[in-house]
Amino acid sequence: MQHSKRQPSTKKRKIRVHHHHLKSSIFMASRNQGSAPRALVVEDIKVDRLILMHMLHKLNCEAIAVENGKEAVDLFLEGKTFDIVFSDKDMPIMSGPEAVAKIRAMGATEVKIVGVSADFGGKEAFMQAGADVFVPKPVKLETLQSMLEVVISKKNMSG
Amino acid sequence: MEYSNLQRQAASLKKSLFDQGYLDEQFCQIEYLQDEASPNFTEEVVSLFFENSTRLMTNIEQAMEKNPRDFSRWDVNMQQLKGSCSSIGASRMKNECTSFRNICGDENAEGCMRSFQNLKREHGVLRQKLESYFQVLRQAGPAVTAARPRGM
Repeated sequence: MQHSKRQPSTKKRKIRVHHHHLKSSIFMASRNQGSAPRALVVEDIKVDRLILMHMLHKLNCEAIAVENGKEAVDLFLEGKTFDIVFSDKDMPIMSGPEAVAKIRAMGATEVKIVGVSADFGGKEAFMQAGADVFVPKPVKLETLQSMLEVVISKKNMSG
Repeated sequence: MEYSNLQRQAASLKKSLFDQGYLDEQFCQIEYLQDEASPNFTEEVVSLFFENSTRLMTNIEQAMEKNPRDFSRWDVNMQQLKGSCSSIGASRMKNECTSFRNICGDENAEGCMRSFQNLKREHGVLRQKLESYFQVLRQAGPAVTAARPRGM
C-alpha cells in the first residue's frame, strides 16, 4: 500500500507499525517450521469470502475457500487436512454447524474450527457442533492473527 | 499541484463519509488490505458489496410484496444484508437493517415498509458517495492511506 508523502499522523503511524508487527510475527513463526498455516474458509457470501481470504493471505496463511458446508465436508472426505477452518453459519446446501458436526464425527479433532457469523445466536449452534471458538462478523485482522499464532504455536510444539 | 489537490479531495470525501456515519472502522480494515499486489482491492470489495446488496434488497422487496406479513422470511433476508453491511463498514445501512429487524420482531408491517424505504435511500446515497470517492481516488493515484481520518 502506498502512503501519502504528508507527515503521517500518530494514528497512521500506529497502523503502519501494527501492520509490520502483524505480518512479521506470523511470518517468522511459520518460517521457523517451514510451513505456513493451512486454512479453509467456508463462506457463501462472495464479499465476505474475498475479505477473509485476503486477510489470511496478508497473514501469510495458505488458504482455500469453498461456498458451503457440503464442499467443506467433501474436502475432509478426500483426505485434505487443515490447521484451521473458518466457517460461516447460514449457507445453502449445508450449514456451518452441520458441517462442523460432520467434520468432527469423521475424527478430525485436531483442526481448530472457528464459527463466524453476524448472528450472535450462532455461537451456541457452533459450539454444540464442536467448534473451538465463535467470532462475530466482521472478523478483524487482529483476531485472525491471534488465532493463527495459537495454531502455529501448536504446530511448532507437535513438530 | 493538481495531484495533491486531488489527494486532499479524496481524503476530505473519506473524512465526510466517516463524519456523517456512512462508514465505520471496518472500512479502514478493508483499505488496510490493499497493497501493490491488489491495488484496487477496496473498490473491488465495494463493488461486490453493491452487487450483493442490490440483489438482497430486490429479494426483500419481492418477499414483502409476495409474502405479506411473512416476517420470518423478511428477517432472514435482512439478516444477510446486515451481515454484508457490517463486512464493509456500511454503518448507517447496518443500523437501518437492525432497525428493520427490530420492527419485524414487533410484526409491524407498515413500520417495516418505512424502514425499508429508508434503507433504499441509504443504499443509494452510500453508493453515490463511494462512487465519487473512488472516482477522485483514481484521478489522484495511490496515496490515501487506510487510516481513519484525523479528528475521528
